Amino acid sequence: MIPALGLLVGLTIGLLLDPAVPVWMQPYLPIAVIAALDAVFGAVRAVLDGIFNDKVFVVSFLSNVIVAAFIVFLGDQLGVGSQLSTGVVVVLGVRIFSNVASIRRHLFKA
Amino acid sequence: MIPEPKPRRPDASMTLITSMLERPLDPGYQQAADRRAAAGLPPATSTRTAVVIAMMVVTGFLFATGAQALRAAPTAAASVKSELVGRIETLQAQGQGQEATIAELRKQVSELEALALQQAGAADLTDTITQLEMFAGYTAMRGSGLTLTVGDAPSADADSDTGSRPSSGFDSGRVTSSDLQIIVNGLWGVGAEAIAINGHRLTSTAAIRFAGQAIIVDFRPLTPPYVITALGDAARMQQLFEPSFAGVYLAQLGEQFGITSELTAGDGLTVPADSLTRLTSAKPLDGGVTTRSATTGPVTSGTDGSSLGPDPGEQQGTEETTR
Repeated sequence: MIPALGLLVGLTIGLLLDPAVPVWMQPYLPIAVIAALDAVFGAVRAVLDGIFNDKVFVVSFLSNVIVAAFIVFLGDQLGVGSQLSTGVVVVLGVRIFSNVASIRRHLFKA
Repeated sequence: MIPEPKPRRPDASMTLITSMLERPLDPGYQQAADRRAAAGLPPATSTRTAVVIAMMVVTGFLFATGAQALRAAPTAAASVKSELVGRIETLQAQGQGQEATIAELRKQVSELEALALQQAGAADLTDTITQLEMFAGYTAMRGSGLTLTVGDAPSADADSDTGSRPSSGFDSGRVTSSDLQIIVNGLWGVGAEAIAINGHRLTSTAAIRFAGQAIIVDFRPLTPPYVITALGDAARMQQLFEPSFAGVYLAQLGEQFGITSELTAGDGLTVPADSLTRLTSAKPLDGGVTTRSATTGPVTSGTDGSSLGPDPGEQQGTEETTR
């Protein structure tokens, strides 16, 4: 419950402050958001599995975001940025889906 | 006895996809839980530690920032677009106001002309002028006729089937300028006396063209549906139009591309005057009038001094003297 409140607080801060994102950072933002979503759903699943670990969560979150952004950056430098972005989105999307499916099994037993 | 080797998984070459699909959870969680269990602690830590909460705040911040940053661009474009739309509408309203002024002034001019002709003793010319003006699209007309409404196919905005329309590059369900040209020419052919599209009079110099995606009639862009008003003998025109080339063409457009069309006869239809008509040539009238009064010679409906008459000087003089 408290982490969910934390999420709400973060959303509110972001909506109120409306920070200007530098142009160079904008291509990485969607990828970072998806990587963060992946980490969050992974953490929820771990909580339900009873094996949640805060250190793993933080480290996996940061590394996901950074690695995803790095892959897109590398792709941009090599001229295949959009293709690599697609790859990242596909991989993280599949992971999000199966984690959400597992959460669903935990919650609804279906 | 040699122990049998472990059988190879049939999908071993797809381990990447398998591991992605079957073990989407970070293996780190399981390892950490195992370590904690080995140390005699409960496998899961609390979700209420400061790090987790801080991380969730950061996540929320990231989501909000992402949503706003990635949505900002379209709203900026939309505001520019709405501003442009507003400007266009203002200018169109202004243009319509000025067209109304032109029509009013033109009415005054023709009244003065009629008066002048009467005073000069050439009242019989008024009929000729009226008829000529009618054909030239110079006066608004009213009478019975046909109303033909042509519209794009209902699915024209979506990705409709690609037909083999000669208008390559356009949606096949859209009415093209050449469709309108064929229809209008067909209407002229069956005896229409005056034609207007969406309230714009077609004269002998009016062009129906494409500019980008819009149909331009006499330099004015039109939006579908296109309402073509053709004055004339309604029953006869309808009878002749349907089997004519244009009628058959229109029917085929409807069958093959779903372009909608509706032909109705009606009374009391109006066709406005063409506000862009201007005098481009004038010549002295030979015959009866000149014998009566030399100065009424060049009978014109001139409205501007820059007309390209064969003798502008005399023409201007005429205006002076006949008044």
